[in-house]
Amino acid sequence: MNIFQKLITQPVEEFIYKVIQFLPSLFSSIFLLIIGMVVAWIMKTVLARLFRFLKLDEVSERSGISKVIARGGIREPFSTLLARFVGWVIVLAFVIIALNALNVLAIERLFEKFFLYLPNVFVALLIVIFGAILGNFFGRAALIASVNAGLKISGLIGKGVKLAIFLFSISIALEQLGIGKDTVIISFSIIFGGIVFALSLAFGLGGKDIAKDYLEKRIRGEEQKDEISHL
Amino acid sequence: MSSVVLRKDIHEKIDQIAKADILVGIPSFNNARTIGHVVKAVQAGFVKYFPRKKCVLVNSDGGSTDGTMETVQNTALEDTQSILLSHRKEKALTIATPYHGIPGKGSAFRTIFEIAEMLDVKACAVVDSDLRSITPEWIELLIKPILENRLDYVAPLYHRHKYDGTITNSIIYPITRALYGKRVRQPIGGDFGFSGDLARFYLTKDVWETDVARYGIDIWMTTTAIANDFRVCQSFLGAKIHDPKDPGADLSAMLFQVVGATFDLMETYADMWSRVQGSESVPVFGFEYAVGVEPVSVNVERMIDKFRLGVHELADIWKEVLPDDILEFLRNVGSLPKEQFRIPDEIWVAIIFSFAAAAHNKTINKEHLLKSLTPLYIGRTASFVLETWGSDAQEVEDKIERLCAAFENRKSFLREVWNFVK
Repeated sequence: MNIFQKLITQPVEEFIYKVIQFLPSLFSSIFLLIIGMVVAWIMKTVLARLFRFLKLDEVSERSGISKVIARGGIREPFSTLLARFVGWVIVLAFVIIALNALNVLAIERLFEKFFLYLPNVFVALLIVIFGAILGNFFGRAALIASVNAGLKISGLIGKGVKLAIFLFSISIALEQLGIGKDTVIISFSIIFGGIVFALSLAFGLGGKDIAKDYLEKRIRGEEQKDEISHL
Repeated sequence: MSSVVLRKDIHEKIDQIAKADILVGIPSFNNARTIGHVVKAVQAGFVKYFPRKKCVLVNSDGGSTDGTMETVQNTALEDTQSILLSHRKEKALTIATPYHGIPGKGSAFRTIFEIAEMLDVKACAVVDSDLRSITPEWIELLIKPILENRLDYVAPLYHRHKYDGTITNSIIYPITRALYGKRVRQPIGGDFGFSGDLARFYLTKDVWETDVARYGIDIWMTTTAIANDFRVCQSFLGAKIHDPKDPGADLSAMLFQVVGATFDLMETYADMWSRVQGSESVPVFGFEYAVGVEPVSVNVERMIDKFRLGVHELADIWKEVLPDDILEFLRNVGSLPKEQFRIPDEIWVAIIFSFAAAAHNKTINKEHLLKSLTPLYIGRTASFVLETWGSDAQEVEDKIERLCAAFENRKSFLREVWNFVK
């Protein structure tokens, strides 16, 4: 073997051999990617129709999810968004499968880590959605209760309850994602603060009649009370 | 369907009695202070008006800790000479039993119905345990139409202060009348007479694990009787005065319970009420007389303030329920001074029908929906007070009659919105 063969021909031959060996994996990857995109498009279309049929948009309107989304500047219906999300998950899954089919060790390791992390993203997403629903529900309940109690700061109370629950769900979601290890301590502080706040409210509401009577007598003198028997 | 569980000694007592003609039930929970008077009135009613009938008094108690059941057992008529012209042949029997199941008036009534069925009674009545104005005549008036006129359901007719029973006057009576076509003035009066057949019919209904068992029993009994073509009438009982209720009782919870029960029944009988047009009066028994009623103090300014707060804070919720023009009207009326503050009948009817449709279509959570009705109800009550401040009882009754007519005339709107999701 001469020097030319050793320095030029052999590496080129080895490279060509490796490329030839790699080509089937590349073609199968591209093929998988195309299939993935087609499947994703079909699923997106079918699911969008199914979600509309199941009146998911009405459910999201009622539960307040739509409002949360709209606040983020997104105007599309929830059914479309969810169908599109599923579509992208399918595309992502096929991208991962396609890259895996390339048999490149570094990529395999990277995606192994990614795969292990993915469930956390889903759980975090669910926590945030659930938090938004709960926040809306209890915020509205607090608003109605305080309006019926005649509290002038009803709007503030309703918004406060809603925000507190939503922030709490965000902190749990971040904890799930492993972002901010101190979140648990913060969450605990929020819960503890919330309990103290709730107790203060309960104490305040429980004693409001006494306080009200006292103030009415002190400031306005005796105020006429309703004696209507509603039933 | 499973029946209620009664204690062994109660079963033995029922077996001993075997059969009875009349049963009067008194549901109770910590009413030791007032129940004695009610028991005496019932016993006097038995001896005075049904001396030859076998009568049973049943106290269905929710676990009182103040000796209510003992009071019932130990209460007896001492001086019958002053009220009786003839000697009683049969002795009035008393059963005092705790009820089982979900705590509530409905469960107490269920036990009463069960005992009525076991004793195969011909006529029953139920009266509240906190009544101060009950007289022996109430028993006659609630029972006789069943025994002598072969009617099935006797609703009470009371004279009340014009600002007493405002939920009944502004919502329950008009909507029940418009829906089911019978003019029963006090559908949730609480003191009713009914036949043994109707008691048995009530027991066939699978509602004893629902809100009916808790708090919706009064409107359920009336509606079930009307909607299932039982023969309904009313008896004039005079004034209804009962032990003062807890002044801090939550109005929104009250609305949620009473209006919620009425809306639930609209689901059950949707086919029936959608066919009914107009309404007809039902036979009235008893001698109607004027009664002096205690004055009621009302703070209209505070009521209007609460309405305004509701408009300011809850408009976003109402937007999901009410038509745009109604919401616009509410916004405008909120800014008017007290002298001009009015919520007309047509607007009120549209509000109630829209809320009924929203409950049916599950537009928002039912508890949120019904509790958000509170400021509107308070506003309507304030408007009613302002309109009737100088009116006498008859003029107020005429005004309620006009509201009922508005409910009946706008029923097409209800049919329209019932299946329409906003």
